[in-house]
Amino acid sequence: MELYSTKKLKDEGFEQILNFFRKKSLWMLHYCTGCGAVELPPTMTSRWDMERFGMGPMATPRQADLLLITGYLSLKSLKRVIYTYEQMQNPKWVIALGSCPINGGIYYDSYSVINRLALYIPVDLSIEGCMPRPEAIIEGFIKLMKQIENGEAVGYKKYQENYKWYKQNQDSVLKREFPVLSGEEK
Amino acid sequence: MNQKELIEYIKNNFKGIENIKSIDEKQFSITVQKERIINILSFLKLSNFKELALITAVDWIKEEKIEVVYILFSYEYEQQLIVKTYIDRQEPSIESIKNLWEIATMYERDVHEFFGIDFIGNDDKRPLILHNWKDIPPLRKDFDSLKYSNTIFGKFKKDKE
Ligand code: SF4
Repeated sequence: MELYSTKKLKDEGFEQILNFFRKKSLWMLHYCTGCGAVELPPTMTSRWDMERFGMGPMATPRQADLLLITGYLSLKSLKRVIYTYEQMQNPKWVIALGSCPINGGIYYDSYSVINRLALYIPVDLSIEGCMPRPEAIIEGFIKLMKQIENGEAVGYKKYQENYKWYKQNQDSVLKREFPVLSGEEK
Repeated sequence: MNQKELIEYIKNNFKGIENIKSIDEKQFSITVQKERIINILSFLKLSNFKELALITAVDWIKEEKIEVVYILFSYEYEQQLIVKTYIDRQEPSIESIKNLWEIATMYERDVHEFFGIDFIGNDDKRPLILHNWKDIPPLRKDFDSLKYSNTIFGKFKKDKE
């Protein structure tokens, strides 16, 4: 844990002016694992119409600002999420949908589903629920926009600052060399 | 043929089968010894059970046995047939049926990964679904999933930040 710096990170000065514009044009990349993806089509299309907030879906990570994790992640998909996240350009934000990325949800005792996403990539905002309804998702988006405006959504800076800590956590689950059950419970 | 006739037919043409039970009007099951599995499956394939729908296994830890289950389907009779056999739990191995149905290669690879059963004749033992697995196969009953999850992913704690 000592790898994790306690430095307070915040956007200041010129960044704040940029943030004012950034928050109005968020392009979203959704990584549809788990059950959560079914709530996205109504959020995006005419029923709840995400576009009125200036948000739109984006097909590739390099042009996206926002990564949406929509549910549980198995180890295999975690690896892909990390690749995707690292491909995205700064500034970038992560929203985790549902209770699975927070504490494992109903998969808390599964041997292949991770329990806490924030250990492996920085999560700016978690929306709890199983599954959160489109209203909750939209409220989450608005909250993220506020965070961006206030300069508090600095997950990507945390990732740079504490890269060693994140990398260590990622390796501890993805690159095991010994049987897990011979180790200690964390 | 309806199910009754089909059961009669199998009994008459494949000697030494007693354990043949009807489950409901569309399903019935056969239990055979491990040594006869290839014989019965090739006999059934010739009698119009052309589709191998699934291979799976059940771990009976108290009886020290593993049950291997083959599910066959016949489009002609519209019947599902479950063929079961029991093998030793300590050294689980059984003849591969990949020469009867080619798709069995995949199913056997999957069962090998999750139950640790050795299919003699099927050399494809590459992992299929799990990532970097080093422990005992996860669907064995003595595998402690909660402890595994707590050890590798950590118990949920409140954030300190
Ligand atoms: S939180 Fe619920 S709906 Fe979402 S992925 Fe987990 S189990 Fe599925």
